[in-house]
Amino acid sequence: MAKKLKGYTTFDIVLIVVFSLLALIMIYPIWYVIVCSFNEGTDYIAGGIYLLPRKWTGYNYLVVFSNAKLWNAYLVTISRTILGTVIALSFTTIVSYAMSRKELPFKKVIYLINIFTMFFSGGLIPFFLIIKMIGMYDTYALYLIPCMYSVYHMIILSSYFSALPEELREAAVLDGAGEWRILFTVVIPLSTPVLATVGMWIAIGHWNSFFDSMVYTQKESLMTLQHYLNRVINSTNIDAGGITLPESVVESMTAEVITFASIVVSILPVMFIFPFVSKYFEKGIMVGSVKG
Amino acid sequence: MKEKTANSVTQIRKKKWTVNRWTLLFMASLGVVFLLVFNYAPMYGIILAFKKGDYVIDIRKAIFESSWVGFKNFEKFLIDPQFKDVIVNTLCLNLLSLLINFPAPIIFALFINEVRNKTFKKTIQTISYFPYFLSWIVFGGIILNIINPQTGILSDLLMRLKLIDAPLNLGRSEYTWGVLIVTALIKGVGWGSVIYVAAIAGIDTAMYEAADIDGAGRWGKMWFITLPSIIPTITVYLILSISNLLNSGFEQIYVFQNQINLGASEVIDTYVYKYGVLNKRYSYTTAIGLLKSIISLVLLISANFISKKITGKGIY
Repeated sequence: MAKKLKGYTTFDIVLIVVFSLLALIMIYPIWYVIVCSFNEGTDYIAGGIYLLPRKWTGYNYLVVFSNAKLWNAYLVTISRTILGTVIALSFTTIVSYAMSRKELPFKKVIYLINIFTMFFSGGLIPFFLIIKMIGMYDTYALYLIPCMYSVYHMIILSSYFSALPEELREAAVLDGAGEWRILFTVVIPLSTPVLATVGMWIAIGHWNSFFDSMVYTQKESLMTLQHYLNRVINSTNIDAGGITLPESVVESMTAEVITFASIVVSILPVMFIFPFVSKYFEKGIMVGSVKG
Repeated sequence: MKEKTANSVTQIRKKKWTVNRWTLLFMASLGVVFLLVFNYAPMYGIILAFKKGDYVIDIRKAIFESSWVGFKNFEKFLIDPQFKDVIVNTLCLNLLSLLINFPAPIIFALFINEVRNKTFKKTIQTISYFPYFLSWIVFGGIILNIINPQTGILSDLLMRLKLIDAPLNLGRSEYTWGVLIVTALIKGVGWGSVIYVAAIAGIDTAMYEAADIDGAGRWGKMWFITLPSIIPTITVYLILSISNLLNSGFEQIYVFQNQINLGASEVIDTYVYKYGVLNKRYSYTTAIGLLKSIISLVLLISANFISKKITGKGIY
């Protein structure tokens, strides 16, 4: 293969071209939705908007921002993401710590009870019926309790905990520390990378969750952001939320552009946080791969 | 000496029921209680599959008091006109995904590893993770607008490039599988590659140096060093994918499903949701769910068995 400038071969050039194209395909849908959310509705219907809005407008966002249902859904999702992540991470950490200790009585049996659930499940309907039977259907607790423990996360956390140096623990034991104190003063401070990673997986799961809201709730006040978005996407009406707009604006507005503006509003927090957390994603996967 | 004391301390603690061991037992049993309620109680609910519990509003009655019907619920599914579609779609979609979406991140990782410019590599990787952070509602919602035959830009672009003459309606059933596979690829390939990139980063560089001395080219090194080195990682993920074979991403299919493509998009999960949750046919859909769980378990055990025979490595 002929060597070119800076030692780049044809192979290198092909790689760069192919990967650039792939990245373009992956990122373009996001660009597209942002661009169209700033475009007038009737003009969007005409099609052919690629890189920039043709007829700029900010009214789409005005309609979206004045929609009380969206704000309520936003609040549900934000609160469940924060509360749900804290609860799930604390609970899973406590169980994982116990599972990482060889002094745990009946460790093998308890481990088996955990592992079995990864291989066999009752299925959707029995789970749905249990949710109804214990009175969790249509309650906010539904967003926090059923997802507060995951065997998969437990395995990742406990394998990390058990790899921590034993001497630190022994020192704490000699100081008369109990298991709770060891967990909070020795284990957790030493495990921030893996805790941050698992916490982020849980948080992303909460932010994007849609299934639980759709299947286990009926109340509109409990609708999550994704569930609400799904409704907006499938609806042909515009919920203007009680604000009055100039007639020309109303006439040129369509359900599509309102959908786009709602989508952009819903992914803003993700776009803002993404640059900070994408590194953790990589790290975490490496943590997870240790057990494999 | 130090080690010896530490060991004896542990040994003593292993035998005695100290406060610490009780605390640990309490901590671990929190998890067990959770699993009993949310995993094992539903397993008990499986008995509904052999009972006459359809349309019974009172769930306690449905589970505990309704009469036994043997395998009637399974038979009902076998003679259902949608049975063939549901099974074919579930199996084919997942086999396609295993053949295309499983190896894609491996290929992505192998080639991104060959990119020399560090900044470019990092940028591409970061971009490729982004779609994973979006929900299927959002990502699918955008894609549906892009591929809309009237207002979307995909048809417009292809027509301008003279690749097609008339707008392309990807909502029709003959395109459904393609749309599902391609969108899953765009959303998941970058994220899926992370694990393999990490595995490649862990390969001993001495092997590549030795290959250089032997005069191996880049393809040779990729084929004879990089790929064989990540085979253990691939095996583990392959077994997990096979056991997941019948879990056909509900949310993705739910987003792309419409009345026209139902024949190509109805899978076990969406079917169970419709007939169980929406139509209250609890026994019937529990039976279908059980069928699914058993097939998944059998697939996992066989995949693990075959893997152990061939590579000497399994996941349990």
